[in-house]
Formats: sequence, C-alpha cells, structure tokens
Amino acid sequence: MAAIRKLTERFAESEVDNEIVIMRLDTGDLFSLPGTAAAAWKMIDGTRDRAGLIKALASDFAVTEPEIAADVDELLVRLRDQGLLEQG
Amino acid sequence: MGDAVRPAEPRDVRSLPKSPAQLLMERETQFVFGRAPRSLKGFPLEPMSWQMEGDSFLLRGVGEHYFHYQKGRGVTIERGPDVDPREEALWLNGSVYSAVASMNGLLPIHASAVAVDGAAVAFTGPAGAGKSTLVAALAGRGLPMFCDDTLILDLSDPDRIICLPGHKRLKLRPDAVEMTGARPQEKISEALDKFYAEPAAGTVGIPLPLESLVFLEEGPEAAITPIAGAERFIRLQDDHQTSRLFAEARRFDRAEHFKHLDRLARQLRMARFVRPRDRERFAEGVALAERYVVGLGTDLQRSEDGSDPKID
Repeated sequence: MAAIRKLTERFAESEVDNEIVIMRLDTGDLFSLPGTAAAAWKMIDGTRDRAGLIKALASDFAVTEPEIAADVDELLVRLRDQGLLEQG
Repeated sequence: MGDAVRPAEPRDVRSLPKSPAQLLMERETQFVFGRAPRSLKGFPLEPMSWQMEGDSFLLRGVGEHYFHYQKGRGVTIERGPDVDPREEALWLNGSVYSAVASMNGLLPIHASAVAVDGAAVAFTGPAGAGKSTLVAALAGRGLPMFCDDTLILDLSDPDRIICLPGHKRLKLRPDAVEMTGARPQEKISEALDKFYAEPAAGTVGIPLPLESLVFLEEGPEAAITPIAGAERFIRLQDDHQTSRLFAEARRFDRAEHFKHLDRLARQLRMARFVRPRDRERFAEGVALAERYVVGLGTDLQRSEDGSDPKID
C-alpha cells in the first residue's frame, strides 16, 4: 500500500503540553491531537503506509495490531477529511 | 504568605530608567490638537469606529471627535463642539493607545493585572467580566495593581514576555468600589456610571515579566484550573478588539499568526478562573484568586511534572 504523506504546505503545527496543535493555513481552523493521536501523527513520516503505521504504534504502545487498527483507521479518515493527509 | 513570596513593594519609580518600550509609548502617544482627516480609506468613518492604513490610524469617537495617529509623529485630536472632554482620555488610553502599541510591535491585551514577587499576573475576559473589580479587591489584600483594562506586552525579547505598567487609572462601578475597598475619586464621564479609584495597595510602575494570564468565567463553584494544549491557542484569539488592532497592524499571514500564537502559548502560563458572580460569594472568589497569585511564586503550587494543579 502507498505511503501516507502529510500535506505540509497546507498547515502549520506545533507541540504544546504533549498535544499536537495544527492550523489549516487556508481556513485558520485549529485541530488538536492529544495522546496516541499525537504519537500517530509523529509517525506519519512519508515512508510508512497504513500497515507500517499500525505496526509502529502497536510496538510503541505494547498492544497488538488488531487492538489499535480501527482507531488508526478512524484517525486517518479524519485527517484526510480535514485535508491534512494524502495516501498516494 | 511565605517569606519567599511577597507582593512587590511599591517603589519610587521616578529614579528607575524606563525601558525602550515605555519610552516609545510615551513618545508616540504625545498629542496635539488640530485638524484630523475624515478618512484613511476613501470612505467615511462612522462614529465609534476606526481605520488603519500604512503608518496611520484614525479613530472617530462619539460625534465629531477624531484621533489621528501617524507613526513617528504622535496623535492629533480634533474635538467637535458637543464632545465631552472627559471621554477624550478614555479614547486616548483605550483604542488609540492599543493601536499605537500594535503599530509599534507591542501586543495589547484586554486585561487587568496585579504585581506579585516581581512579576505580573493578568486577568482577562470580555467587558463586564470583572477584571477591574478583581484587581481592586486583590489590591485590598495587599497586591499592588499593575494595570487596569489594557495590558501591553513587549515581545522584543524572544525568551520572555515583558509587560508594561498600566497607563490607565482604575475605573470601577459604584458597587465595585464598595465591595473592594478602593478609594473612589471623580466620575469618569457624564454618560458612564463609573468612578476613577485608587487601589488600596497602590500601583507598580516598572515593566515586569508576565507570569500568568487568567481567563475569567462565571460558574457555580469557584475554581482555578490550568489551560493546556490547543485551548491556549483558541483562548488567545478570544480577545477580539485588541486582537483586531494587532492583526491589522502586523498584517500576519496565517503561518505568521500561528507562529505568534505558538510563542505566546509556550511562554505564558494560562488558567481559567470560574467563580459565581453572586455578591455574597465575592470574597470567596477573591480569596481563591489571592491564593493562586501568591502561590505562583512558589514551587509548591506546581505538580511534579511541572504543570499547574487545580486550585479550589
């Protein structure tokens, strides 16, 4: 499966108080990614596909891949809907 | 109150050198009376509104009352015949002052503040949120007032946020004078039921680092809780009037705006102060605010991970 890529030209981001804060540059909308969503965001580096992301997160959080797969999928859909990601 | 944390002593500030930002504001807010333009943008300016264009700012007060600021040249006031001259100081010290600050790289915030242990703690909220009343009440408990209604931030040092001492006198409604023990002085204008007042613990006239920005809210029980993460960014955009002036002056694009918010979010401790607005419970809220403000100078108020605990 193709790697997931952040559309970095569309947003600015920062990490404050262990939260990723993102602003869409075209709308000014702010998004917040706390906890595991922040961890997932940091692992989206343009080389991992969905399976690679789930594997890396499962390893980091010491859980099985099926346990987190649905949450990762939901997050990816949300980030794509918000125009922050593309999956080539 | 422990020995390590004391309200800043009132000082004789006449002997202290002023900061470059203070000198800049003194210079740029000098005013003369004369003719002011009627517009900066080619269309008429409605009463109680303003325009900013390049290095110029024009504000129209009530009726034929104009304030024209040009960067490097100060303020020109044109006062029509029906103007209440006492309102002039309100405009000059309010929107005109904030515009001058913004156009010179300083950030005005709609806040009132007290000084404690060599730092300022500011309370912000919309008009009527109780900023002045709270500061006056804290002054009644020995904390000198740092500013009322407008706090000017000097962002020139990238490592810390310094705020300028207040340029406005404390203004209170009659009931707030009674509740806080501030010493009332003259009425501020014919139209407004407010009085100038002298804070019981006096004022501090030197720039201080801003220790915390506290957002005032109403709720059933008094509590002060930290604001973290994305909420810091959102809260920083709450301050509509002063934010508009700063945004217009700086002409940030969104990436620059985000960078600006990010800096403030990282360098400012923020909290929300929820309390009932019930007069009978006013002292309870003030006591809590005092504990928060005084506690900011100690490590006792910080949890082991460095974040702020809830105080209630």
